[in-house]
Amino acid sequence: MAHVSVPMYWRTIPQRYKMIGQKCKKCGHVNFPPKGVCKYCSVSSEFEDLQLSGRGKVHTFVLISSGGAPPEFAEQEKAGGMYPVAIVELAEGPKVIGQIADADPKTVKIGMPVKTELRKIYTEEDVIRYGFKFVPATEEK
Amino acid sequence: MTKVAIVGAGQSKYGEFPDKGIKELFFEAFKDMAASVDKGLDPKGIEAAYIGNLGSGGFQLGNMSALVAEYAGLQYIPTMRIENACASGGYALVAAIMDVLSGTHKVALAGGVEKMTDVSGLKQKYWLGVSGDTEYERLAGTTFAGLYALIAQRHMHEFGTKREQLSSVAVKNHKNGAQNPKAQFQREITLEQAVKGPIVAAPLNLFDCCSTTDGASAVLVCDAEVAKQYTDTPVYVAGFGTSSDYLAIHDRISTVTLEGTKKASERAYKMAGLTAKDIQLAEVHDCFTIAELLAYEDLGFCEKGKAGPYLDEGHTQISGDRPVNASGGLKSKGHPIGSTGTGQAYEMFNQLRGTVQKPSRQVKKAEIGLVHNVGGSGGTVSVTIMRR
Repeated sequence: MAHVSVPMYWRTIPQRYKMIGQKCKKCGHVNFPPKGVCKYCSVSSEFEDLQLSGRGKVHTFVLISSGGAPPEFAEQEKAGGMYPVAIVELAEGPKVIGQIADADPKTVKIGMPVKTELRKIYTEEDVIRYGFKFVPATEEK
Repeated sequence: MTKVAIVGAGQSKYGEFPDKGIKELFFEAFKDMAASVDKGLDPKGIEAAYIGNLGSGGFQLGNMSALVAEYAGLQYIPTMRIENACASGGYALVAAIMDVLSGTHKVALAGGVEKMTDVSGLKQKYWLGVSGDTEYERLAGTTFAGLYALIAQRHMHEFGTKREQLSSVAVKNHKNGAQNPKAQFQREITLEQAVKGPIVAAPLNLFDCCSTTDGASAVLVCDAEVAKQYTDTPVYVAGFGTSSDYLAIHDRISTVTLEGTKKASERAYKMAGLTAKDIQLAEVHDCFTIAELLAYEDLGFCEKGKAGPYLDEGHTQISGDRPVNASGGLKSKGHPIGSTGTGQAYEMFNQLRGTVQKPSRQVKKAEIGLVHNVGGSGGTVSVTIMRR
């Protein structure tokens, strides 16, 4: 039941391992995940790589419970109970979805400061997939 | 625009049917459609068919439109499978309308079918998950319940939308669906039941989510010039509009607006020469309760952020001034993905002609109605406005 093949996953390694964003050479806005054409100016497709800080604030979140988890995450839900997933507004501007780890689901709130860490996401095709998750952070940088 | 008419519409029962596949389900809807054509239908007069379908679990991914058409006796005509996730049926309807509008054909069939209960629970989630953004949303561990929950949470935060208001959508739609003999769940639920449902993806619980369903529907679209050959009371297509949006919610301008719905409805209103105020009833895409609230706002029935109070005031009840989802909606009627859009058109055809199966569900004196079909979490949207 392959869902995301290893090659497909591999192509997103710069984002998942290192939080590499695209700074638009025309309008200066930061795209993350990457786009073919900048989603802010809708014109330029010239970018320079930008290392994102990985810091941001929870814009919205959900607590995934039994029945709400995709099959490849069902085991995680079964083992650890409901897990939080958030859309985080990154310090550099773009929003991105990711799981929140190391937090009691009951304490997750909109506006809560978070930062990325490299974690195990899941296993598929017998290959462990690593990528960023968010963990609670303190306000200051 | 009054150049295109709808002269027949049919729907299979929605539910779980172990004895029927996509061919049998589609044929049931087709026969029901043919029976609705007042002056009779010679199937040989159907010149093309557009069939909405997500994939039916992958059992007949390729060429499924030819298969269901030939089983129903439609051979040697152009057929196409239209896939835009949960909006496949709505786009199939628009495809048939555009075909007739272009003058290519005088009579075209729009339909949809989905078989969802043959596949195991795990595989089902796999199939449904493929219509969101796979690389990021799916790999963050979400399915559609999770994605709509992200929208709901933010809507509650920004506008004070209440848990009870989400549940009231489900209560209203189950009340309507209880009077729909073709609905999957023909039973009412109480507000207390709906509020206390088991959590699926907080803030959404089981009663906020639609089900998996088998079903099919079919709508006969024709040039208005030949409509009277089929019936003295056609329903006219006043306007239509469609739009895409960013697939992943995190890419969108706003988390609490389906920009696709705004754009699609603006285009439909413009073509029809109408505004939201003119819409007397609507079938909207309530795959999750929050989705119906978003539809009120993004279709222009009320201001952004005011959907909760708009619902509480009773406007969208069958007894209200703008009934929404008199059929029971996706929530109670069921959501056989590819069929949902043309199934909404089936309901609207009957509402506008006063031929709803049970009079208790019939909206009185309605002349102008809107159908609204959303793919995924809003990546594709279609809106069609019909008038008597």
